[in-house]
Amino acid sequence: MSRLPFKLRWSVPNFYTRKALNSESITLTVRRIGIVPSKRGFGFMLLMILLVLIAFVYNNNLAYLLTFLLASVFFITILHTYNSLAGLVLKDGQCKNVFLGEAAGFDIHIHNPTAVERFNLQIQLEKTENFTLAAHSKIAITLYKIAQKRGWQTIGKVTISTSYPLGLFYAWSPIRFDSKALVYPKPATIEIPFPETPLADAEQGVNQKKGADDFYGLQEYQAGDSIKHIHWKAFAKGQGLYSKQYSGANNATEVWLHYDYAAGHDTEQRLSQLCRWVIDAERADIRYGLVLPNLKIMPDRGSAHYRQCLEALALL
Amino acid sequence: MNSPHFKKILIFLLSSIGLIVAPHIANIPIALFGFFSLVLGWRFVAVWRPQYLPRSRVLLFLTLLALTLLLSQHKHLLGRDAGTNLFILALGLKLLEIKTERDIYLVTYLAFIVAASLFLYQQSLFMAAYILAVCCVLFATLVAINSIEIQTRVALKTATLIILQAIPIAVVIFILFPRVEAPRWMIFEEKNKAKIGLSDSMEPGSISDLGTSEELVFRVKFTGAMPPLKQRYWRGPVLAHTDGKRWSQFNTQLFKGLALTKPSYTGTAYQYTLLMEAQEKNWVFGLDMPEQFSAPLALTGYYQLVTQENSKKRAEYKITSYPQYNTGELTQVEYQDATQLPREPSDKIKQFVTQLHGFDSKPEEFIAQLLTHFRKEDFHYTLTPPLMEENPIESFLFTTKRGFCSHYASAFVYLMRVAHIPARVVTGYQGGEFNGVGNFLEVRQANAHAWAEVWIENQGWMRVDPTAAVAPERIEQQLNLDLLELGGEIRFDPNMINQQQNWLKQMNQLWNSADYQWQRWVVNYDSDNQANFLSTFGIHDFKAMMKWLMILVALITILLSAFLLRKKQKSIAPVLRLYQRFCAKLKPAGLIRTNREGAHDFAQRAKIALPEQADAIEQITADFIQLQYGRVSSREDFVRFAKAVAKFKLTVHR
Repeated sequence: MSRLPFKLRWSVPNFYTRKALNSESITLTVRRIGIVPSKRGFGFMLLMILLVLIAFVYNNNLAYLLTFLLASVFFITILHTYNSLAGLVLKDGQCKNVFLGEAAGFDIHIHNPTAVERFNLQIQLEKTENFTLAAHSKIAITLYKIAQKRGWQTIGKVTISTSYPLGLFYAWSPIRFDSKALVYPKPATIEIPFPETPLADAEQGVNQKKGADDFYGLQEYQAGDSIKHIHWKAFAKGQGLYSKQYSGANNATEVWLHYDYAAGHDTEQRLSQLCRWVIDAERADIRYGLVLPNLKIMPDRGSAHYRQCLEALALL
Repeated sequence: MNSPHFKKILIFLLSSIGLIVAPHIANIPIALFGFFSLVLGWRFVAVWRPQYLPRSRVLLFLTLLALTLLLSQHKHLLGRDAGTNLFILALGLKLLEIKTERDIYLVTYLAFIVAASLFLYQQSLFMAAYILAVCCVLFATLVAINSIEIQTRVALKTATLIILQAIPIAVVIFILFPRVEAPRWMIFEEKNKAKIGLSDSMEPGSISDLGTSEELVFRVKFTGAMPPLKQRYWRGPVLAHTDGKRWSQFNTQLFKGLALTKPSYTGTAYQYTLLMEAQEKNWVFGLDMPEQFSAPLALTGYYQLVTQENSKKRAEYKITSYPQYNTGELTQVEYQDATQLPREPSDKIKQFVTQLHGFDSKPEEFIAQLLTHFRKEDFHYTLTPPLMEENPIESFLFTTKRGFCSHYASAFVYLMRVAHIPARVVTGYQGGEFNGVGNFLEVRQANAHAWAEVWIENQGWMRVDPTAAVAPERIEQQLNLDLLELGGEIRFDPNMINQQQNWLKQMNQLWNSADYQWQRWVVNYDSDNQANFLSTFGIHDFKAMMKWLMILVALITILLSAFLLRKKQKSIAPVLRLYQRFCAKLKPAGLIRTNREGAHDFAQRAKIALPEQADAIEQITADFIQLQYGRVSSREDFVRFAKAVAKFKLTVHR
């Protein structure tokens, strides 16, 4: 009896800030659901006033009865609207990391453990999704939010709402989930060759250095080839531009992506450039290392390395 | 906006609007009804052929046409009829212009107003049930708009459920909402309305076909005994003035003023409640002769009850009457009224009166002679008498000898006056059908009657009914005139009475009884009735009414929400409950799930212990994990799981 909806809270001080505890599911109860009359509901009130006036002027008891019936329907619609939201269980799910400017997708699991079928539910993050939920069923919905800032992007406030059955009332529940997506810098659009960093010479490991010295042939110059490897003598003889190729197929090229060598007049632009290099390098299957002001990642390749680099860029 | 979804909503909406406006066919001008039907039909076609919808210019033309139609029917736009027509036309025009969801709501709200306007014309139980049903469809339209996938059955069911749940609170508000009469200036009177009923004059010779109507005039509930049939004369207007053809009321002080002398009453007193239907005139038909009556009623100099309040709504009166009375001496005005003749009677009439000793015997004897004459001679009672335009009384007495109550009463009174006996015609109702179910008497238009009243020395005004002499069954037996062939004459046939005692008649009485209670307790529930009814519960003032309104509404809300929530909590974790049942079924086999053991591990153990049922265990466990921990599951999954658990049975071979 302590959960009766006539005690519906219209404004609870911490109504908006209620948070889900980490990885805990949220059940929609009286404390989480707010109900207000919708615009149509206010129109319905006007209708009732008009009808009661007609009944009064003509002293007509059946017109009174009709008016009171409508008023009663209006009143108990509060219960029904509440009931079409109450009892749902929401839980946050996975979210994928994205690049800045892309839409981050957050999974929300909605479970209807009750025997009440839900005919019209809306869930809103940036866009509103409509869905139905049969009794004793679950659904997973991915909500998207455009990533505006590099770093951690929290899902923020998700609003689940309904105006079923009559559209006269609007019941909603704002929920804050903890799930967050990592936003990588936006990759630069301009293609700039990988930097020729002094660091690459100085810091290359002994083994690698040795391997890199084993010259085994020439190849026509391609964009992105290290300037250092150009066969200048041949170029001087007018034989065209050739790159010196060193032995060890895996270690054919190795780049250091250095923060200081990335073009750009602020941090974001530099990170953006570095991000582009990381993507290009991974795509070109080149070993790459990353040097940031506070962090250095040794050259490697593969998706785990790729993600490690991007995460480092995102969180700088 | 032309999606199948929207189409479905439109069909819902248009059907309910058709249902709402249909009963108005009897109330609004045929031109307007035709216009509305046309527009509705047009909109129906446009559901499938949206290209036929009118453009704004055509719509403007239609609006102007509608306004012209409206103004041609009504001089102003206030009042019941004009207001109703206005709303119906607005509804029709708005139908052609449904573009958004907002428009659908507007149309639905207009439809509710039109539904309320129906009650201004008819307040029967049937109409109320009809409107309630249509309201279900209207609300179902709203449910449909608010559903993502429209299921007609679900929408109707939801709407009906909401309405049923809304009824208790509606009834509580109905009982406790204070009734205040609207100030006079707010009531728009309709002047040019003609209603069937008793009129303030009669012209028997010019009527060749007396229509009978089963329309209810009033109902009577007796507190004690009921008077016998031959005393059930319900007194109405007294027609004392005649021009030879037409009989009408004298517009004298007797009519305007109140009763001059109160009669002295003897014999049995009858106490009853009279429930008058809405009337054009302010006449109240009391049992002859009313003695006690309360406030709005007054007795005229013709001993006719009139109400001083608005008679165009139902009203209830408590009256006491005595069938035996003596009105005492005749005043000068009364005498003049009751002996008035348009001109010197013809020789034929004088000769006839002389023949019956009208001039040379006592009045009582002359009356007896005349009644015998009616009975013995070839006089007939018929509802379709021949026309008697010239000299109606002479033609009736000497030539046609056929007529109904008005002919007999007027001829009788005329002859009395020729013999210098004060006499006058009294109109009203006679008899009434007894409703055994509701224990009350129903008096209908078909019971309309006219009789004579003669003043006799020492006895005062005395009722004489010449029709009774000709057709006693008209008075002493309850003849249902509807059952008679209107063309034929009334012949008394005992079988006919028996035929009426069939189940159909009983059903009819049951319905009439329900209708009576409906009229009495719902339609007629005005401020007086409310005060009376509530005071039996100790509620006397506005404050107490509001207090009880709050308490009862809160109480119903608590019960209702407890009911709605209980249903929900019971099924809070059916998946887990089913799984526990499954575990309990495994218990006899010695398989007990420990607290720490996951469903999967438990299933492994169970499969080893019960290899024959490994498949079932596997399936149930997989479904359980899917339903309980999975991301997505449907209703079908749940049903399959529930069925599997129910079917699962331990089969241990040892």
